[in-house]
Parts: sequence; structure tokens; C-alpha cells
Amino acid sequence: VTATLEPTSVRNTATSLVDLLDRLLGTGVVLNGDITLSLSGVDLVTIKLNALISSVREAT
Amino acid sequence: VADTVVYLYALVRPGVVPDLSPLRGVSGTAVRLVRDDRLACLVSDVDEDEFGETALRTNLEDLRWLERAAREHDAVVAAAAREMCTAPLRFATVCRDDASVRARLHVLGPQAAAVLDRIDGCDEWGVKLYADPSSPVPVPAGGSVVDEHGATGSGTAYLMQRRRELADRAFAVEQDARAADDVFAVLAESAVAARRHRLQDPQLSGDQRPMLLNGAFLVRRGDADSFRALVHAVAYGRRSIAAVLTGPWAPYSFASTEQDP
Repeated sequence: VTATLEPTSVRNTATSLVDLLDRLLGTGVVLNGDITLSLSGVDLVTIKLNALISSVREAT
Repeated sequence: VADTVVYLYALVRPGVVPDLSPLRGVSGTAVRLVRDDRLACLVSDVDEDEFGETALRTNLEDLRWLERAAREHDAVVAAAAREMCTAPLRFATVCRDDASVRARLHVLGPQAAAVLDRIDGCDEWGVKLYADPSSPVPVPAGGSVVDEHGATGSGTAYLMQRRRELADRAFAVEQDARAADDVFAVLAESAVAARRHRLQDPQLSGDQRPMLLNGAFLVRRGDADSFRALVHAVAYGRRSIAAVLTGPWAPYSFASTEQDP
């Protein structure tokens, strides 16, 4: 053991969700897990998500 | 007792790994390591009721669930990336059990090693550029001169004025797009790698200014200060463009094998 990893909750409160989702939904190494959504499924989720966030914003 | 499945965060080298015990992952779960000979993976044991296929499909469309899971996922990846070379996996990668994870690590080994070598010692920085609506519309060289004597009737004068305004605005949009391309090129040159994300929808970001660039740059840790200085110099120096720098991020945008889309 060389170091201890510290939680990063403080840093993340300042991160914009949209910037985070740009990275989490469209990037990263693809390892086809047993339960992982298919790639087209992820695209679909992103599109649905856009509609969802829009509707949330309109409602508030 | 509900069945558990294995949630995967990121790939790391299987050598010496820091103590993971202080970390909490998605839904507050403990983070542990699954190893193969050449590759290891940060994982958590999660409830199938929450992360199984059916549950995941529903939960990913629940914005509050998604935001929490995304931040918890990033907390693990970011903490790991600060201490060791870390290749993030795509969000919401879930396997049945450790044996299944190991089988996949075995197959992925050589490609993942290449990814880890590429991103080693680097952070990701985000640079977002916006057109600044408060800046005056630039006038094309030799263009728009108001000629009070040229136009005859007031209707014609109005139309000419209107046409000039539209032309000026089109010119400004073209100028902004070109400026964003220039900034991207200059920053890319001083980065290890660069890519452009899709422009953000103002409805998603809450920022009403027209977005010109949503860039991601892979930068060596030792070059971070000079990269930030360069962002200031090339982007902040342009009057009609507003720049937002984000980071350092784990190298999300640059962790992909040749097979990945």
C-alpha cells in the first residue's frame, strides 16, 4: 500500500452535471458487461435524457 | 437478501494499488479491486434491484438517480486518477460476478495496456467557448458604411439597413466559428491529444450563450500550468468569445481502445 485514496465529494459539488455527462455517457473504455446496455442503447438513453432534462428545466 | 452484481468504474495496472478502503462508490458501496495478470479493475458490489438490466434502464431515465450515480462514479474515478494511471470505463458497465469481470479483463488486456500507456501522467482539461452576446457585432473590413444619401424612400432605407444587419450578424457567426477552430487548433498543438465533444444544448447547460466549442484536451500533469496560461492567452484574449476552463478531469475523453466508438 503506497497511498490512501480520499473521497472527492467536495470537488464534485462544483462540477456541472452536463460537463460530467458529456464524459460519462459518450466516452470511456467499452467493456461489454453482462448487463451493460448496448451502445445503441446508451445513445438512446442520452437522447431520452436530453428530453428529460429539458422537461425538468421547463417545469421549474 | 437481494442478489448483488458487479459495478465497474475504471481499469488500472495490476501492480501496487493504493488502499481503496476510504472510498465509497455508487449507492455508498465499498470499492475493491478485481485483478487479472495484466489488468485490474475498480469495482463495487451493488444490488441487482438497482443495477440489474431492468432497473438500470428505468434508473438511467430518472434524472435525480442519474445525477447521484454519475457523481458517485466520478468520485471513485477521480480519486483513483489522482493516485495511479486510470482508464475510466463507460458509465453503467455492470457484470454478473468477478469471474465474468476477469474473463473480460483477460480479453481486453493488450488494448487496455495501450490505453493506459497513452494517458499515463496526464489529466483531461475541458475548454468551453461561447459567443459573448454583449460584445459589439464586428464589422467586416470595408463593409457596412451607413450612406444617408444613397437610399431614397424610408422603406428602401429600412430594407438596406436590415440587410446590412443580417449580413453583419452572419459575418459575426462565421468569425466566431473560425475563432473557435483557431483556439482548438492552438490548444490541441500543446496537448497530448484533443477532441471535440458535441456542443451542449443551452436547455441542458442553462447557459443561453451560443456555444462555439466543447473541447477536451489531454495534458501532461507537468504542463498543466502552461496549458492554463495558454487558454487565457488565446481564448480570454478574444473580445467576442467567452471561455470556461474545467478540470482537471480523469482522462475520460481519451480512454478508448481502437474498437470503441
